[in-house]
Amino acid sequence: MKIYLALTVASLKMYFRNKQGLFWALFFPLLIMIIFGIMNFDRYNSPDVGVYDGANNDASRLLIQALRGSDEQELLNVTVSSLEDIHDELEFGSSRAAIEIPANYGASGQFAEIKVTYDERFPQERAVVSTILGQVTDAVFKEIAQVPDEYRVENAIGISESIVVGQGQGFKAWLIPGIAAMAIMQTGLFTVVFTLVRFKSQGVLRRLKATPIGASHFLAGQLTTKAIVVVLQTYVLVIVGALVLGVSVGNGRIGAWFDLTILALLGGALFIALGLAVSGWAKNEETAAPIANIITMPMMFLSGVFFPLSVMPDWLTRWSQYLPLTYLADGMRAITVEGASITTLGSELVGLGVWIVISFAIATKLFRWE
Amino acid sequence: MTTASDPVIVAKDIRKRYGDIIAANGISFEVHRGEVFGMLGPNGAGKTTTVEILEGMREADSGDAVINGVNVKDDPTAVKAMIGVQLQQNAFFDKLKLSEIVDLYAKLYLAKVDPVEILSRVGLDHRKKAKYAELSGGQKQRLSIAVALVNDPAVLFLDEPTTGLDPQARRQLWELVKNIQKNGATIVLTTHYMEEAEELCDRIAVVEHGEIIALDTPDALIDQLLATGFKPEKRVREATLDDVFLNLTGRDLRD
Repeated sequence: MKIYLALTVASLKMYFRNKQGLFWALFFPLLIMIIFGIMNFDRYNSPDVGVYDGANNDASRLLIQALRGSDEQELLNVTVSSLEDIHDELEFGSSRAAIEIPANYGASGQFAEIKVTYDERFPQERAVVSTILGQVTDAVFKEIAQVPDEYRVENAIGISESIVVGQGQGFKAWLIPGIAAMAIMQTGLFTVVFTLVRFKSQGVLRRLKATPIGASHFLAGQLTTKAIVVVLQTYVLVIVGALVLGVSVGNGRIGAWFDLTILALLGGALFIALGLAVSGWAKNEETAAPIANIITMPMMFLSGVFFPLSVMPDWLTRWSQYLPLTYLADGMRAITVEGASITTLGSELVGLGVWIVISFAIATKLFRWE
Repeated sequence: MTTASDPVIVAKDIRKRYGDIIAANGISFEVHRGEVFGMLGPNGAGKTTTVEILEGMREADSGDAVINGVNVKDDPTAVKAMIGVQLQQNAFFDKLKLSEIVDLYAKLYLAKVDPVEILSRVGLDHRKKAKYAELSGGQKQRLSIAVALVNDPAVLFLDEPTTGLDPQARRQLWELVKNIQKNGATIVLTTHYMEEAEELCDRIAVVEHGEIIALDTPDALIDQLLATGFKPEKRVREATLDDVFLNLTGRDLRD
């Protein structure tokens, strides 16, 4: 235990003296987060709206289709779901309007009132949705108006608008956990690979082999260091990100920090193990660097760190949803953005667990001391 | 039980091959307590392989290496705890200060030492706050000897300790080795500098192609050669070029 502590303390000192390691662990992810955060991608997307289809008939389906727009020009990003879901999504999620189609919509001789709720904080999106809705119902009304005169007056569509103040935090809040997850991957893989491969090629590990301590002591000290770094780094990134970009973490739930710590440690274990596998295999830095990059680069862009998986083609998401970074980013996002508890993260935890087992199996198979 | 008169090191018929290369072909010798034992030979003769088998760093194909009564094969960890090792290629954590390196290694042996005192023994106490990467070649070698001393070893293994050093640094290291011996340590030293062997070693083994081809005191080996009627090609002068160099540049160390 004493030996393990001594090795951990020494390895922590080495880590914090290594400016390059700190750069990759903190400054690089912070930089990306701020750059992407100030770019405000929200503005250029067609707004997300939730629709509750109370009528569920040909007329209401026609209306929803009209709201979506054509393949050439998407008007609104429509999700059809339950009444409760569309309001939750408006209040806490990325949705900017909740549209309720009444049960009597499209029924002859009736006045159908569509209720729309907006998020007060997004006046631009409100204006866009309101305009589109007005035009679409207008057009639909005209179509209906072509039927015989007796229906013309009563068969009307009205729109009533109301407003809530949403809690959802948009792209900035969405970005922070993804970057934190990416930073865990970078720390786990790169710092493990570069320290161990350097120690190996310089002969530091060989010199340790001449002492009575086992290799496992040294490794345990190294891994503990990286685990501590990964957790601290996650705190710093999430806190600084939340302050700079002005978003709340886990809807203010204190337990979110505990859950984040667990996820950071799981993600850390996964990528540290992958780092061990690479450093075990590689003889020097020149061979290690490309391998580490080949593993991390695709995940950076395919795991929903900078932009959601939904913008990717289906054939790609079918594969990328199983990537280790996807599980980690999704899990951390659920906790910080949606305010979920870790106990509700079924598939993410299972995915991380499976990847941890696979990574450690590869690491023990490949790791060599000299 | 071991007694003072028992040999500290017994190597018995050690054999080791790497593929087609025979690194050790039945090497046997004994080293006594307080002795400086030299292993001489050209590069690739099998010196390092033999020494690393004694240190528990490599496994012999056959034969026995016994240090202080413990067979390396049976308990390499116990042997490693008793010995101090300077490898041919030494490297330490380059981000740590010298005092931190010594302290860390002392803890690996669960030994209580004053890092500054250990560093002062090799003349590095004034550099205790320097990082390993900032040291000169000679200082690095002296640090690796300091690290080898943290557990007060029964045997100190020095594998080519002066290779690559300038004459001043080499001479300073010789003084250091003599002082360590004076304090009662047993030392096994490999070198391919004959002058170094003559200066430091009580007995030397000449190794060639994985075998010991001569083993005796330096004086006895020279006498044996002269007894065959050997005459050096050049007339031996009273001073060497080494002396000329040291006389010109001074004996003081440069770092």
